[in-house]
Amino acid sequence: MTEHLTMHDIQLIADGESESPTHVRECPQCANALVGTMQLKSAVRDAMSTGSAPASLRRRIRPQRSPWMLLAAAAAITAIVLGASLLFVPRQPNALGELADMHATLLASPNPVDVISTDKHTVRPWFESKVPFSVPVPELASTPFQLIGGRVVYWHGTQVAYLLVGKAAHRISVFVAPQDFGGDSAPNVSTLKWQSGGLHFVAIGDVPQADLAQLRDAFNR
Amino acid sequence: MLRMAERESFEELALPLLDSLYRYARWLTKNATEAEDLVQEAYLKGLRGFESFIAGSNIRAWMFRILRNTFLTSRTGLRAIPPVPLDEEMPDPETPETNFVQRANADALRRAIEDLPVEFREVLLMCDVEGMRYKEIAEALSIPMGTVTSRLLRARARIRKALS
Repeated sequence: MTEHLTMHDIQLIADGESESPTHVRECPQCANALVGTMQLKSAVRDAMSTGSAPASLRRRIRPQRSPWMLLAAAAAITAIVLGASLLFVPRQPNALGELADMHATLLASPNPVDVISTDKHTVRPWFESKVPFSVPVPELASTPFQLIGGRVVYWHGTQVAYLLVGKAAHRISVFVAPQDFGGDSAPNVSTLKWQSGGLHFVAIGDVPQADLAQLRDAFNR
Repeated sequence: MLRMAERESFEELALPLLDSLYRYARWLTKNATEAEDLVQEAYLKGLRGFESFIAGSNIRAWMFRILRNTFLTSRTGLRAIPPVPLDEEMPDPETPETNFVQRANADALRRAIEDLPVEFREVLLMCDVEGMRYKEIAEALSIPMGTVTSRLLRARARIRKALS
């Protein structure tokens, strides 16, 4: 049995300063500590996000500008703030790495999903009152995949639908949200991002990349 | 007198940071009016000292450092400096523990953050809200990266304790 990680190690992983070791995937205690730290980070982010600078301050810093310039600047800054808030502020450089960590920690948990069902007609309605968008759950009957269940997870302070899919002994996590998750790769696991019907999807699993593409096709059918 | 091109280049780099700098000022001073004054002064100092900024280096760390130095020499800032160096505190227990923060505890969490020493509050803001890497935080605060790590550890331990 490998020794447990220290809170120091766990913090470095949660802050994206070091890679998540395989121990986290195998040890529920360390996985829980990592999830706890990530939840704390997310809660602190929400609590400390005080909103944008007041217009009075903006005027004090750029008093010499003409009204048209101010208007243009305010519009640009509003667009940046709006755009940034839609894209999960602050954008992390290792966004998919964070989702891969969540994939690993959820799988390390004895209860990775809250609704356990292989039936899309059970899982899809379960999400209805829990996330502010309709979660597409694919028909997997004629594919090598099996639906295992789903749950709601919080990522950067936003609700994300989580679907767990099996392929033989392998497990694939699918994260679904109306916003782009950012990032483009994660170490040690296969990842695939796609968009469909105004939603953004990220599939993560310890499977060949072709399997994720096949699963994506099942979602898009 | 600064040339127009220099002023424009400063504004182009520094103005997009206004919201971040204001957020930082709010959490340093815990007062909206003082925060506005502090940000304005930091921009003036930044503009005046822009010649010393090395093109291509990190403008966010540079502006955060100016704002912080301005704060530390203000009356509120002088009061906020702790009497005992924070890094001499006892280290935290080394075993992992589960401390889930309930979303319903937002008010308690806000109070816990407000009660933290300013040195702890600012690293949390830079790491968790601004998404800055340890290296950038270390540059903004002129402290070693190990100190960033230990301040974050202690800040989070204090919050967990306050919420438990």
